[in-house]
Amino acid sequence: MENNVLIEVRALSKSFGELEVLKSVSVDIRKGEKVVIVGASGSGKSTLLRCLNCLEDPTGGEIIFENENLADPKVNINIHRQKMGMVFQQFNLFNNKNVLENIMLAPVTIRLKRLRTEKRRALFKKGDKPTETKEQILAEEREKAMKLLARIGLEDKAEVYPSTLSGGQKQRIAIVRALAMNPKVMLFDEPTSALDPEMVGEVLDLMKQLANEGMTMVIVTHEMGFAREVADRVLFMDGGVIAEQGTPAEVFGAPKSERLKAFLAKVL
Amino acid sequence: MYLEGLGNTLLIALIAAAIGIFIGVTMAMINYINKKTGKLKPAAAVCRFYITLVRGTPVVLQLMILYFVVFAFWDNGIMIGAITFGLNSGAYVAEIARSGFESVDDGQMEAGRSLGLSTWQTMRSIIIPQAVRNCLPPLFNEFIMLVKETAIVGYVGIYDLGKIPGLIQSRTFDYLFPLLIAAALYLVVVMALTRILHMIERNLAKSDRNRGGVRNGK
Repeated sequence: MENNVLIEVRALSKSFGELEVLKSVSVDIRKGEKVVIVGASGSGKSTLLRCLNCLEDPTGGEIIFENENLADPKVNINIHRQKMGMVFQQFNLFNNKNVLENIMLAPVTIRLKRLRTEKRRALFKKGDKPTETKEQILAEEREKAMKLLARIGLEDKAEVYPSTLSGGQKQRIAIVRALAMNPKVMLFDEPTSALDPEMVGEVLDLMKQLANEGMTMVIVTHEMGFAREVADRVLFMDGGVIAEQGTPAEVFGAPKSERLKAFLAKVL
Repeated sequence: MYLEGLGNTLLIALIAAAIGIFIGVTMAMINYINKKTGKLKPAAAVCRFYITLVRGTPVVLQLMILYFVVFAFWDNGIMIGAITFGLNSGAYVAEIARSGFESVDDGQMEAGRSLGLSTWQTMRSIIIPQAVRNCLPPLFNEFIMLVKETAIVGYVGIYDLGKIPGLIQSRTFDYLFPLLIAAALYLVVVMALTRILHMIERNLAKSDRNRGGVRNGK
């Protein structure tokens, strides 16, 4: 089981000035595991998630991903972020790009940059000539993006700009935008909290599909029903530490600590 | 004579605008990256000092200092005027561009970075295009101000449109008409520019008409 660990968080801490948000948190995320993080606002659950791909720089501790410590500022975080998809509460689709461009931008930018580097190397006889061309990359990524759009049934929206879409459509596009990078893990930061109630279902359905396909997922959410259904493990955060964790049945069915009982009483 | 003066005025304004936009946008970008990543602290401090200095002193004095002291060896008055106004407007453009950058939602940068793009890649494809569109109207305003304000170069003996009436007055002793003609020319130029700039603005907005006119809509 141990060598199946994808992300290993060791004694992670994070302070914003005087305020200590995470207090030496340690947790392993295993391959294919669905981990749901719950807790009251201010408990540090979003911060923990955002530290996993260093959108917040940890102030202490380690995050081991593919044998590298992401908390080390010397590590090239961009390369690792390509393998960690992230979905935000506010969707954060690129406003100046249409839907197709939103999905294609990151893979195309990164592959074209690699292509230029390879060409430069070939020029100085330090490597082989790249076999792919710019046109191939664009065509491939376009096809992949259209497939992803087809998957969520929004091919007809490829050319429109995000402002004309509903919240549920935006969030589903944000999810496939992250998938376009073929990530090894998906991080969800309250993906349904900004949605109108009637749109929550379509986003959760897509997330369930991903879960069934074996994607490793770390999800911060207030959707307890979803947590119960999808999670392999539920982490309850309180005051910057993981106060309790276990299977959904354990956490929701037989809470041990008083604080978890109080929290569940409020949200269920 | 009027046309020569007008040509000089426009030349100075154009070069000054180019310099100003280059300086201003660079400074605003340094400021923005510093704020988002904490890097570039010394550069950001230099920018702040520059903006304070330039905005805190009259442009006439800046012109005289550059003309009579810094570039005393150089007799190309038009270029010196353009450089002065470029440096001056750079400080103002920096503030305009700063507000443009700040109007872009923080989530845009986070989304770009979370996909594995670098800060610069995200700036180039996402942040800068949105910031530019958001600060176009005040930027155009600044340019129109430049066209008129450059009349100050008359102080150091450069023949721009604002200087011409004085010249003609000294020969014909006719005071009213030269002034009116110069004023009319300024007016025509500014009106034409306003038209052109509006057209550019509309064209840029066309690329995403779907936004439905909401500037900062999410």
